[in-house]
Amino acid sequence: MISPIIEIHSLSKTFRVPQKSPGLMGALKGLFSRRFREVQAVRDISFVVEEGELVGFLGPNGAGKTTTLKMLSGLLHPSSGEAKVLGFTPWKRERAFQKQFTMVMGQRSQLWWDLPAWDSFLLNKEIYEIPKAQFEETVKELADLLEINDLLEVPVKKLSLGQRMKAELACSLLHRPRVLFLDEPTIGLDVIMQKKVRDFILAYNKRWKATIILTSHNMDDVSELCSRVLLINHGRVLFEGSLPELQERFGHEKLTDSMRQAFMAMEEV
Amino acid sequence: MRKYWFIFSIYWQEGLQQRSSFFVDRFRSFVVLISFYYLWTALLKGRSSFAGYDHSQMITYILGMSILRGLVFASRTYEIAGEINHGRLSGYLLKPINFFVYTFFRDLSEKSINLVSAIIEVIILSCLFHLDIRWPQNPATWGWFLLAITGATALYFLLSFMVGCWGFWTAESGGPRFLFELFLEFSAGAFFPLDVLPKGLQHALQMLPSPYLVFFPLHVFLEKLSPAQLVNGFAAQLFWLGALGAMTYWIWQKGVRFYGAEGS
Repeated sequence: MISPIIEIHSLSKTFRVPQKSPGLMGALKGLFSRRFREVQAVRDISFVVEEGELVGFLGPNGAGKTTTLKMLSGLLHPSSGEAKVLGFTPWKRERAFQKQFTMVMGQRSQLWWDLPAWDSFLLNKEIYEIPKAQFEETVKELADLLEINDLLEVPVKKLSLGQRMKAELACSLLHRPRVLFLDEPTIGLDVIMQKKVRDFILAYNKRWKATIILTSHNMDDVSELCSRVLLINHGRVLFEGSLPELQERFGHEKLTDSMRQAFMAMEEV
Repeated sequence: MRKYWFIFSIYWQEGLQQRSSFFVDRFRSFVVLISFYYLWTALLKGRSSFAGYDHSQMITYILGMSILRGLVFASRTYEIAGEINHGRLSGYLLKPINFFVYTFFRDLSEKSINLVSAIIEVIILSCLFHLDIRWPQNPATWGWFLLAITGATALYFLLSFMVGCWGFWTAESGGPRFLFELFLEFSAGAFFPLDVLPKGLQHALQMLPSPYLVFFPLHVFLEKLSPAQLVNGFAAQLFWLGALGAMTYWIWQKGVRFYGAEGS
């Protein structure tokens, strides 16, 4: 039996957040005694993702989606629980693991601002130790798919948001990762660019049998891309299944309405 | 190692793109150099020596100080705290690179740019004022000097990296960093030779790693040290490298576990 690509069991993460009373007096008080509050961002969640699956990780702001992705990519150590991605414990940050996944954060860029995207590509070629022939083949393929051939020699700061996002995606995929964590990949893009990015994600998923977890508030992203969704709120998984199952359970024709219903049900719990 | 040399080269490229800030920074260094030159020339006027330094030794110290500032203190480790606080560290942690080695090569790039500029500035000043420089009499001194500045560069990198790691626990590391740099430059002998200070203070400063950053290498260059003092100096540099290396590793490990990846 083939084991799942992503397997998490009872994963929890609690942050200790400093508190500050409002105003100047609050700031002065904070100099001498600082109060902290424990925030449980992720509570005891468990799920598995099989190879080649494209799973939507959905929930309102602050639900715990990004925190979970950060644990799965090894950025955060969990407070408790276990996770395996490609057979590795993510937060051990082993080189062999890091060469096989990527994380794209819609609001964060890895491209060098003052230099052309091509230089960032070359840097990733060295960092991921990509053989020259494979690098050239992948760049050509990605640049054609994303239609960015003419943009690679333009300084990144001169690119539009959509062009930057496409270059960002290409840069993140040069090493042909088997697992992709995409955090709001279409945020801030116009509808045409959103569609292009979605088509690209789907094409990459099919071409390389890549396993993808995607967070998004954009229902078009979810309905066009995801074969399965996980609904999360207050750090807990509320629903896990296909989109038709979600609509069947929460009884609405429109996906957004079903989700709203699901979150309301969660609040009541 | 290829990846780290590429990082070295890409920071060079970035440095060349940001020309205006580079030139302003170098102009500031040149002004500092000229100010020190005039200050010490005025102090030495009418005297054959001051605090054990004759005119050419003091001039050599000032010029050497300027070059070592460009080499030892030129660093981008001040960015580490901001990278932690704003979540930019995540970009490095996700990739198969060692952040410690990455920042070291980033620093090497910064140092090489500044070192070349500092040497040019010193040559310009020397030509303009026909300065009398005290070169080492013994060829072996060059070897010892090279060793001392290598140790000094590694020592400053460790100290500065460690201070950058404060960013894991506080968002307000700017103030402590400013104090750290000011004190370090003073106690390293990067404003004036430490032996102009009272004996008690000199002895206290010798207990710290900072004198081995500028003062010790320049004393090696000026051949002011006996063989025993030379050995003691290198032993102290080695001790601090080991101690600070272990501390930096420990703090980094603790910090990464504590890291909240905020803003990313």
